[in-house]
Amino acid sequence: MTVKKLLSRILISVSSISLLTGLGACGKQADNNKEFKPLLSTDTTCSIKVAGNYSNFESLESEFERFYEYYPNVSLNYVSMDDYENTIISALLSEEAPDIYVTATWMLDDEKMKPVFENAEILSDPALNIDLDCIRNGARWTLENGDVVMLPIFTRSYGMLVNMDIFEKNGLKVPEDYGEFKEVCASLKAAGYETPVMGANCTSVAGMYYSFAFPYFCNTVMGDQGKVESLNCMDSSAGESMRPALERIEDFIDAGYLDPELCSAEIEDDYDAVIMRFFEGDVPMMLGSGDMVSGTQKRENKSEAFLANPFKYKFFVVPTGDDGGYFLDSVNLFFSVNKNSDNLDMTNEFIRFLMREKELGNMAAIKRLITPTNDFSLDEVYSSLEGFPEDKAFSYQETGLNDDVNKEFRAAAYKVANGEMTVDEAIDQYGNLWE
Amino acid sequence: MHCHAAEWLIGGGELKRTRIIAIDFVIMFLILFFIIQYANTKMRESNESSIEAFEKMTITAEQIVTNYLEDEQHLCDIWANYINRSAESGSPMTAEEAVSFIRKAKISPDIYGHLIFLDDPDQTGISTHTGVSAPNDYSVSYKKIDLFDDLDAISREVGVVSLTRAYTNPQNGIQSIAFMNFVKILDETTGETKEALLMRVEPVSVLEDKLVFLSGEYENVEISLINKDGDYLVHGQSLKNSNFFEYYKSYNHPDIDEFNKTTELITSGSGTLQMLNSKGEECVVSYTPLQSMNTWFLLAYLPAGDLKSNTVIDWLLLGIVSLGMMLLFVFNYLILRLYNKELTEAAEAANQANAAKSHFLSTMSHDIRTPMNAILGLNEMVLRDSHEEEIVEYSESIRNAGRTLLGLINDILDFSKIEAGKMDIINVDYSFASMLNDLINMVKIKAEEKGLDFNLDVDRDIPMTLNGDEIRIKQVITNILSNAVKYTNEGSITFRAGFENIEDDPEAVMLIISVSDTGIGIRPEDMKRLFQAFERIEEDKNRVIEGTGLGMSIAQSILHMMGSSLEVESEYGKGSVFSFRLLQGVKDRKPIGNFEETFKRYVSERKKYRESFTAPGARLLVVDDTAVNLSVFESLLKRTKVQIDTAISGDEGIILYRKRQYDVIFLDHMMPEKDGIETLKEMRSIGDNPNSKTPIVCLTANAVSGMREMYLSEGFDDYLTKPIDQEKLEALLLHYIPKEKIEAPAEDEIKDEHSVPDFLMDLEELDVDAGIAHCGGNESYMVTLTTYLDTGWKNADEIEKYWNARDIENTTIKVHALKSTSRVIGAFKLGNLASDLEKAGESGDIRTLEERIGTLLSLYRELLRDLSTLKKLRDDENAKDRPLISDKDLGEAYKVIAEYCDAFDYDSVIDIIQSLERYSFPEKEKERFEKLKKAVDNFDYDLIPGILRVTG
Repeated sequence: MTVKKLLSRILISVSSISLLTGLGACGKQADNNKEFKPLLSTDTTCSIKVAGNYSNFESLESEFERFYEYYPNVSLNYVSMDDYENTIISALLSEEAPDIYVTATWMLDDEKMKPVFENAEILSDPALNIDLDCIRNGARWTLENGDVVMLPIFTRSYGMLVNMDIFEKNGLKVPEDYGEFKEVCASLKAAGYETPVMGANCTSVAGMYYSFAFPYFCNTVMGDQGKVESLNCMDSSAGESMRPALERIEDFIDAGYLDPELCSAEIEDDYDAVIMRFFEGDVPMMLGSGDMVSGTQKRENKSEAFLANPFKYKFFVVPTGDDGGYFLDSVNLFFSVNKNSDNLDMTNEFIRFLMREKELGNMAAIKRLITPTNDFSLDEVYSSLEGFPEDKAFSYQETGLNDDVNKEFRAAAYKVANGEMTVDEAIDQYGNLWE
Repeated sequence: MHCHAAEWLIGGGELKRTRIIAIDFVIMFLILFFIIQYANTKMRESNESSIEAFEKMTITAEQIVTNYLEDEQHLCDIWANYINRSAESGSPMTAEEAVSFIRKAKISPDIYGHLIFLDDPDQTGISTHTGVSAPNDYSVSYKKIDLFDDLDAISREVGVVSLTRAYTNPQNGIQSIAFMNFVKILDETTGETKEALLMRVEPVSVLEDKLVFLSGEYENVEISLINKDGDYLVHGQSLKNSNFFEYYKSYNHPDIDEFNKTTELITSGSGTLQMLNSKGEECVVSYTPLQSMNTWFLLAYLPAGDLKSNTVIDWLLLGIVSLGMMLLFVFNYLILRLYNKELTEAAEAANQANAAKSHFLSTMSHDIRTPMNAILGLNEMVLRDSHEEEIVEYSESIRNAGRTLLGLINDILDFSKIEAGKMDIINVDYSFASMLNDLINMVKIKAEEKGLDFNLDVDRDIPMTLNGDEIRIKQVITNILSNAVKYTNEGSITFRAGFENIEDDPEAVMLIISVSDTGIGIRPEDMKRLFQAFERIEEDKNRVIEGTGLGMSIAQSILHMMGSSLEVESEYGKGSVFSFRLLQGVKDRKPIGNFEETFKRYVSERKKYRESFTAPGARLLVVDDTAVNLSVFESLLKRTKVQIDTAISGDEGIILYRKRQYDVIFLDHMMPEKDGIETLKEMRSIGDNPNSKTPIVCLTANAVSGMREMYLSEGFDDYLTKPIDQEKLEALLLHYIPKEKIEAPAEDEIKDEHSVPDFLMDLEELDVDAGIAHCGGNESYMVTLTTYLDTGWKNADEIEKYWNARDIENTTIKVHALKSTSRVIGAFKLGNLASDLEKAGESGDIRTLEERIGTLLSLYRELLRDLSTLKKLRDDENAKDRPLISDKDLGEAYKVIAEYCDAFDYDSVIDIIQSLERYSFPEKEKERFEKLKKAVDNFDYDLIPGILRVTG
C-alpha cells in the first residue's frame, strides 16, 4: 500500500473526527485570533532559511516582516531552488540545509522523496504549541500515526470567476444549482451574452472541463466507493462512473452556453489568457482553477479594458449538481520543518506564528489563493466560500482516486466537449483516453 | 503737548508693544530661516559628500568583487587551459581524466567541478563529487536547471568572467554560482575530441561571506549582485523578492517611464538611487556595474538614516539658538513690559494732570464767571444809576475789561477743548448775512474806536442760507478780525467774502473769506510761530496788546477740523492778508444782495441801550442754588418792575411751577441734587399745570461754545450765560413776555434807603463793604445776607450729612455753593476755606476734607450765630407794623394748618403761614411760629404736626 493510499484512508477518518472536534474547537478559535505571544527570548539572534520552488514568495516575505516585530534580530530568508524535486533532498543533507522547506502531497507517494519526510519535524507535538485546529478539515494532512509533518499554507479549488457587475446589471443572482445555472445562462444569452460561460479549452486541471465537471464526478464516485478500486485500476467497466458528469458537459454545450471552439479561438492558454479575456468585461462567468484567481490581482492593471472599465468579480464553485456545486479542496503548498535545523526552536516558533488564521489569511490574500483556514474574510473574491456546506466540500484525496483517473476524466471530458467522442464512446474507452 | 504724549503712551503703548513683538519675531524668524537654510545647505553638502563616500565604497566593493570573480574565473581558466593544452598536444583528456584532474587541482572541498557535455540534450556531465543523496553517482544533470539558454554568451577569451546566475547545485542542493569555460575532451565512443563546458561551481555563501567584509564603515550596508534583468545573484536581507526591479516596483510604485528609466540607469553606469524599502522606509541604493562583465551589477543598500546621522549637530545648534532667542525674547518682553508699565503710569499721571488742567480750566470758567456775573451785573447798575461822569467812565472801563476777560476765558476754554479732542463741529442752517452782521457789528466798532477804516467787500451773490457750523465760523472770523484790529495802528481793515460754485455739487459752495490789514505785518521767520498756541509774535513790541496768544491757533485748529486751513500773506511793516476757503452746504441759493448797504442802514438805525420796558404784570420764576445769584438777578430787573419768584433748588422750583403761572422761567444748570436739566424734564412731565406753555430758559456759567445746541436739544427754549448780560436778559424778556404786559419805561427813580445794622460792621469775619459792593447796594446786601442766614443752618446740616455719608460729590457741590455765597456777602475767611475744601473734594483729597471740614462747619455756624441778631432785628422791625394776633385766631389757624397737613394740602398751609406773617405774635408763640415758618421754608411739612402738638 502506498503512503498515499494509507493517507487517504486516514484522512477520511480524520475528517470525520475533525468534524466532531471542529465543533469543539470553537473555543480554541477564539485563542487563535488572540495576539501572538512570543515564547522565546525576543532578542534571539539567528538566521532561518526557507526553501521552495516559487521564484517569488512575497506573501511569505511579508510574514517575515510581521515576525520581525516580535523577533527583530532574527533573519529570515527565502531561497528559490532550481529543480526543486531533485535538489531539495540534497539540500536537506547539505551544510546549507534549509530550516523550512516546501512539500507537496505527491512527495508522500514517492519513495525517492522519503528523505524529505525523514528529516521533517513532527509539528503535532503538543510541546510545540502549534495551533493545528485553525486548519479546515479538507486541508489537513496527518500521518498514520497521527503525526503532522506538513502544514498547509495555501489551498486552491476549481470553479469560476463571476463578473458581478454583469449579474447586477441584469438583475441576476449567481446560480446555486444546475437548474438555476441554465436559467441564468438563458437569461444572459437573451441579454446578448452569446456564450455566458467561457474557459480554457484544454485537458489541464486549469482547463474549463475540470472545474465544470470534475468535482461533480468526484461526488458521484464518493457516493459509490466500490468503484474507486476499478477506476484506479483503469478497468474500462468503471468508465460508467463518468457518465453523469460527461452528460452534464454535453448538455451544457448543446444548450449553447459553452462554446469550445470559440474558447479555443479566444483563449490561448489556461492561465494568462483566461484572466486577460475575463478582464475584457464581457464574459459573465469564466471557468478555471484557483491559480487563475491568484493571477488576477497582478493583471488588473495590465488589462487596458479592465483599467478603463473596472468591475467587481468573485470566485464561486460551479453549480453543476442538481442540488448545487462541490467544493474540491486541494492544498497547493505545504511547509515542513527540518528537524536538524540549527535554529529549530526559532523555526518552530515561526511556524507557530504562521499557523494562525490571521497570518495564513494574510498570506493567502497577498497570493490570492484560498486560505487553509475557515476564515475567508480577508479576501472578498473568496467570500462565497464562507460557510460552504461541509457535506459538499471534500479533498481529492478523500475520493481515493489516483492521478490516472484524474487524467482519464480530463481526456474524456475534452473529447466529449469537442465532439471527438460521444459520451458512450468515452465511457467505453475508459483506461485508454489519456494520450 | 503733554496731553498728546500721554495719549500716545497709553493708547499707543499696546500698539508699540505689539509692533516690537512682531519685529522681534520677524528678526527671530529671519535668523532661524538663515540657520535652517545654512543647515540645509550644509546638510545637502554633507549628504552629497556622504553619498559620494558611499558611492566610492560601492566602487571599492565592486573592484574587490570583480577581483574575486576574476580570480575565480582565472582558476577555472587554468583548469580549462590545462585540459585544452592536452587536447592541443594531441592527447586529449577523457571526461573522466579531466574531472579527475580538477578533483586534484581544486583545493577547497566546497568547490565542485562540473564537466557538461554540450552534445547531450539532457545537459548531463560528470562532477568532481557524488550526489549527496546518491553516494556513488558522479553524474550530474542540468536538464531541469535553466542555465544554458545562451551558450554563445559564454566567453572563450581568457580572463573574461563567464558566470552563471545563482542556481541550485544539483549535486548538493546548495545555492551556487559557476565560472565557465570551454574545454576539448576526448569522446571515448567516437575517439574524436568534442567540446564540453567546464564549470567551477562555488556556493553563493562563499561570495556572500566575502561581501560581508566589504561593508567598511557602514554597519548596515547590504551588498547585492544582480544581472541585467534584476535577478539576484546574491542579495541582502532587506531586498526582498527574487528580482530587484520587481522589488523596486512593488514598494515604490513608479509609472512605466520612471520604472524604465530607473532600470536603464542601474544597468548602464554608476550612481545612487533613493527609494523606499518594503517597510516604506527611505533607503539609498548605490549601484555600479562589475568591471569586465557587462552582465552583473553591484548594489549597495543602506538605510537613508545611516547617511544622515552627521546632521544631528545642525539641528542641535538650531535648537539651542532657537531656545536662546526665545529666552532673549522673553527677557526683552519682560523688560518691555516693565518699561511700558512705568511709561503707562507716567502717562496716566500726565493724563491725570491734564484732566486736572481741564478741570481747572472749566472750574476757572465757572468760578470766574460767577463773580464776573456779579461784577458785570452790578457794573451795569452803576452805569445806569450813576450820573457822575467820572464814575460812568470807570464803569465803562470795568465793562470793557470784564468783556475782555470773558473773551480770554472763552479762548482758554476753547483751546482746552480742542486739545482734549472734545471740540465738535455741529452743522446747522444759518443766514450768512445775519452772521456777517453779528461779527462786523462787533469788530467795526472796535476798528472805528481805533480810528481805522473798515471796508467791506461782500459778493452779493453769496447764497442766503448756508449749512455749516455758524458759531465756529464766526469764531474764526472774529479771531482774525480782532487780531487785525489789535495789530493795526493806522490805515484800514478790509473784509472780503466771496464764493465759488462747486462743479460736481450744486448743493455746496466754496466760501472764500479774507481779511487784509495795513498793520505791522509778520516777519517771514515768525510765520511758523503764528499758529502755535501761546506764542505771541514780537512780544516785546506788542506787550500792550491783550491776548492769550491762542486766537490764531484756535482759528487754525477749527479750520482744520472743518477741512480747511488759514493762509497768511504778510509783508513786514506793511500789513497782512489772512484768508481761508471753506466748503459750505447751500440751503437757499437766493443771493444775499448788497450787504454793505444793508449793514449801513442797520448801523444808522441802531439805538443806544436804554431801559426799554417795564412789565409790572409779568411774573418770572428764577431757580438757582446760589441765593446771591438770585439776588443779582432780581436787582438787574428791578426797574422793569417784573415780579420775580425765586427758588433755591429744583424741587422748590417745581412746587412753584405747579402752583403759579409764570411768563418766563429761568433754571440754573448746575445745582446739587437735581440739576437744571433734570428739573426741566420733571417740570415738563407734569401734566395739567399753569406753565405748560411757559418758555424755560437755561442759566449757565458753562459758556463754552456748542452748549447752546445741547441745551436746546435737552428741551430748553433758550439759554443765557452767566454773568448775565442785562441787555441780553431784557431782550430775551421782551421776546418772551406777552406784548400786552409790556409797558413804557418808568421815569421815577428808586433810592436805596436801606441801612446796614451797626453790629454787622463789628463782625470780624465779615467784610461788609465788599459784600455791599458785590450785591450792588445796601438793600440787596441786606436781602442777600438775610437769605444767607435763613438757608445757613439747614445748609450746614446738609454739608455735615453728606460728609458723614462720605458723599464726596454732593459735599463738594454744597461747599462750592458755600464758597460763592460766603464770598458774595464778604465772609472771605469762610469762603476761602470752602474754596480749599471744594478743591480737595474735586481732587478726591479726602484727608484734607477730614482734617478741615470740622473747622469749616464750626466757622460757618459761628457766622450764622453772629448773624442771627439780624433776624431778630428784622422780626422786631416787622412786628412793629403788624397787629398782634389773638390767641383765638392763632388757635384757629393752627387747627386749620393741622387739618391741611393731614390732607397733605401744603399749598394751603403755605397760604395760611403767609397770611399769619401779617401779624405779630405773643412772646410765647414767636418761637413756635418761627419753627413753623422754617419748616414750611424747608419743605419739612412732616415736622408741622409735631411742632403744633408740642406747642398745643
